[in-house]
Amino acid sequence: MVKNRDLKPQDIGRPGEQLTKLGKLMELPAPYDDPDMEPPLTEPKDSWKEKHCASLDGYIGIDTLTRPQTKKEEEEFVKKFLSGLEKIFSDETNRNFIQPLLLSFEYCAKCNTCSEACHVYQASGKNEIYRPIFRSEVLRKIAKKYFTKSGKILGRFVGADINVNWETIARLGELAYRCNLCRRCAQTCPLGLDNALLAREIRKIFSQEMGIAPKPLHEKGTMLQLKTGSTTGITKPALLDMIEFIEEEIEEKTGKKIKIPIDKKGADILLVHNAGEFMSWPENPAAFAILFEEAGLDWTLSSEMMGYDNVNYGIWYDDLQAKKIALQQFKVAKDLGVNRIVIGECGHAHKAAAVSMDRIVTGEDNIPRESFLPILWDLVKTKKLKLDPSKNNFPVTLHDPCNVVRMMGVVQPQRNILKAICPQFREMTPHGVHNYCCGGGSGFAIMNYMNFPEFRNKVSSRMKFKQILDAFQDTVKDPGIPKYVCAPCSNCKGTMRDLLEYYGATEKFNIHYGGLVELTVNALVDIKNPFLEFLQE
Amino acid sequence: MLLLVFMYISLFAFIILSLSKAMKYAKMPMHSRWELYPVPKEKGRGEYGGSYYEEVKWWEKPRETSLAGEIKEMLKEMLFIKNLFINQRPLWWLSYALHLGIYLLALWTVLLFIGAITEIAGLPMVTETGVNKHWWAALIYYCTLFTGSIGTILAAVGAGGLFLKRVFNETLKKYTTPQEYFNLLFIFTVLVTGLIVWSSDPAFNYGRDIMKRLLTFSAIQADTALTVHIVLLGLLLIYIPLSKMSHYVGKYFTFHKVLWDNDPNLPGSEVENKVKEAGRFKPSKSWSAPHCKTGETNSQ
Repeated sequence: MVKNRDLKPQDIGRPGEQLTKLGKLMELPAPYDDPDMEPPLTEPKDSWKEKHCASLDGYIGIDTLTRPQTKKEEEEFVKKFLSGLEKIFSDETNRNFIQPLLLSFEYCAKCNTCSEACHVYQASGKNEIYRPIFRSEVLRKIAKKYFTKSGKILGRFVGADINVNWETIARLGELAYRCNLCRRCAQTCPLGLDNALLAREIRKIFSQEMGIAPKPLHEKGTMLQLKTGSTTGITKPALLDMIEFIEEEIEEKTGKKIKIPIDKKGADILLVHNAGEFMSWPENPAAFAILFEEAGLDWTLSSEMMGYDNVNYGIWYDDLQAKKIALQQFKVAKDLGVNRIVIGECGHAHKAAAVSMDRIVTGEDNIPRESFLPILWDLVKTKKLKLDPSKNNFPVTLHDPCNVVRMMGVVQPQRNILKAICPQFREMTPHGVHNYCCGGGSGFAIMNYMNFPEFRNKVSSRMKFKQILDAFQDTVKDPGIPKYVCAPCSNCKGTMRDLLEYYGATEKFNIHYGGLVELTVNALVDIKNPFLEFLQE
Repeated sequence: MLLLVFMYISLFAFIILSLSKAMKYAKMPMHSRWELYPVPKEKGRGEYGGSYYEEVKWWEKPRETSLAGEIKEMLKEMLFIKNLFINQRPLWWLSYALHLGIYLLALWTVLLFIGAITEIAGLPMVTETGVNKHWWAALIYYCTLFTGSIGTILAAVGAGGLFLKRVFNETLKKYTTPQEYFNLLFIFTVLVTGLIVWSSDPAFNYGRDIMKRLLTFSAIQADTALTVHIVLLGLLLIYIPLSKMSHYVGKYFTFHKVLWDNDPNLPGSEVENKVKEAGRFKPSKSWSAPHCKTGETNSQ
């Protein structure tokens, strides 16, 4: 095995067991500065290596990527990849990304500015394969070799020096799933280029041409959503049961008798949640219901197919799936006759519905979409909600979901709210549009199979864990003081849940996570008992 | 006369090839929104990275943009390569030397042009007693001297330094292709030949003379060093737009048409018209995975 720092893009096709292995990772602050404080790295099982591509770094991100059994299968695989590669460079088949793709493809000056910005590269202890341009350069070299005149004539001189076979392509596919698509690299690029986009284009080739994508994103994600209405598989009767349960919980916890409006025609607002909230964090839709009712908003939830799950996993890997899902989601709002769609605590749903799909719909289908954050700040600012910040008198820090902040520009409302309702609020460093991804972005939060969660917890979430520990340094070692990471995004919360559990941070140091609406409800004057579970006796 | 024609051709090629590259990008289909904050044109919010999405019912409020904010950010990047300065200081020194040198040389070219016009108009830069005492002639003369000398030296130091840095820095070396070394060497060689020519005429009178001949369509008198310099410079001018050194074109699109393009698709807007038009496109090819059907490739 070549030393991590000595690896170069041409090594992607090097025969051998495994290209690289995690070495010394970025150090964590106290109390995790002692290596014994974190679980050790594990080896991939032999059965995984035989079936999948574990030859990149020992982790398996694409569970549907399986080794070919015959030479013919391998040839077919290579052929499909090259055909997909050609399609991303065609304005016939990739109209919506051809311009940004070509710009990022053609102009990289290899200055490595992006590496400093990438949390995966930094957290890995600067392992060469996670350098943002490593992946881009592999793609560039292959594309040049097979599809450019200069590459065919001048070869190595222009960098067209990688041949493809199964191992090369499979490793490149895996590498596309070692990037959270957080686009922090693009923020620092002097030429405005976007390595994350190139990673996403590789994912696109795999999905749209080769039919290969992680099961939780495709088969149990977008395909299931298009079939049943939700990636969770929740059916309408199940949803209605859950909502009834939530109403009971609200009454039990707060004494408030609330009837959650469902399928209310002509309501002002259609509130759309990540359906994962109903299953894993019902206190989140409950908190929304309490706040919206308290403020007297004219709102509704939808129980219609595609109306109760705002997720759109397509934006992580597949344009076609993204479009299909979004169009059906818009239709629900149109049929209900609402004035606007308000997106709840789900980051990628913000990006998908409000931003990405803004180039799809027109006329009556173009129902305005907005984030819940400005509305919530408006309710706090105008004192439509009676709040007592002393109820939240414990250290609170804020995680900025990349899709809401860096990719949509919603920065201030959430911090204005926290400053108003949490006396011990403190920022992470860096924060706002320069934040670090939670490590679960682009689908990682739901890719919970084989050893991939280990990569997430150890590497892609490592920088976020460091930031959390840094933000709570004054009280982190005191388990008597509860600490709260506010993460107003369902996927970020899923990542936090796994992260805090993996490192035992809740158990040992009383660090909790949750949304923003729960904190807001916790501060409501007329609620006697704490709404947040960890404050309950 | 051949040299003169070659100079015309190379200058013309530089402009036409650069424009055609710009046209290539400008004519591409409307892309999916892919902006990245901070977007400096967001009035009152550009500084911290906010956008109109921070407003309740943002679509009902007037869109406030700041051209000044955008220009300010643009100039910081163009004049100082701000992103590299903040994030990659060790490389910035050399890169900035190269770029500042090129900017000064561009200014020098303009000054040569002005000087040539001035001389054609009957006001020589240099008289028998030395530099013309006329304020205009003296101003142009000394500014030409300054921009030409400092520009050439800075650009040569930058190009040569970047070449060496890429040779000796292990990380940069891994990602640098032979063509990228060639690009830096090519620029460096042109600058060195320029320095050789300049050494025999420190006041750049030869430059003004060439400019006058270009303006009056008369043959250029050049010795070997000047001939080599002119030929290499001409070849470089033709080569730049064909290579990724044409990032002066690319950078406009990456920032203005991708990262900073967050214009919303509002009813009746120009964006809406474009979206409608894009929706009418029927591709003749499609993707092959089982879940992809013909005619649905224009997505997101």
